Amino acid sequence: MKNTIKVERAKKNWTQEDLAGKIGISRQSVNSIETGKFIPSTVLALKMAKVFGASVESIFQLEKQD
Amino acid sequence: MEQFKKTTQRNSIIFALIHGATYLPAVWLLKHHIFGQPVSIIITIVPIITFAIFIFKLIKAFSVMDEVKQRVQLEAVVIGFSLTVMLMMILFLLSLCDISNPGWFGYGYLVCYCWLFYFVGLFISKKKYGV
Repeated sequence: MKNTIKVERAKKNWTQEDLAGKIGISRQSVNSIETGKFIPSTVLALKMAKVFGASVESIFQLEKQD
Repeated sequence: MEQFKKTTQRNSIIFALIHGATYLPAVWLLKHHIFGQPVSIIITIVPIITFAIFIFKLIKAFSVMDEVKQRVQLEAVVIGFSLTVMLMMILFLLSLCDISNPGWFGYGYLVCYCWLFYFVGLFISKKKYGV
């Protein structure tokens, strides 16, 4: 699964720390999700979509192997 | 919420230290047979109680972690548990053919190996998730 968290953050000019504070997780956890090492739960994906003002599908996309 | 998380995690560390502070003197006192049997039984129970409280606080600390950190802890515990079981199986099978070294692999040492394996698991899991 790929994601556009980095792009969305850049649009808002947010650091990983900023995003982490807004969704209630640690900066390391944001980094883990952003780099695709961890797939977030539906709740966390929805929280991210809400703070970015975007849909979950636009942030997280399935890849061929998924 | 953030303050609550920090307090909960600090509590688990404090109780880990309290457990260590009761376990090591208990081992020393029991090893040197300073007290009679009834007192020795009480001394044995004290570190078990502090360990139980520590585990309770640790589980509470896990519950307030975010999901990435919970996954890291879960995998660390699974790796640690698996390695400990493997070691115990090896020791049991070797003891069947009278190959054993209680000087290095007694019950007391198994506790240390168990913690060592947990930290090995934590290291692997942290590397995997980049946390």
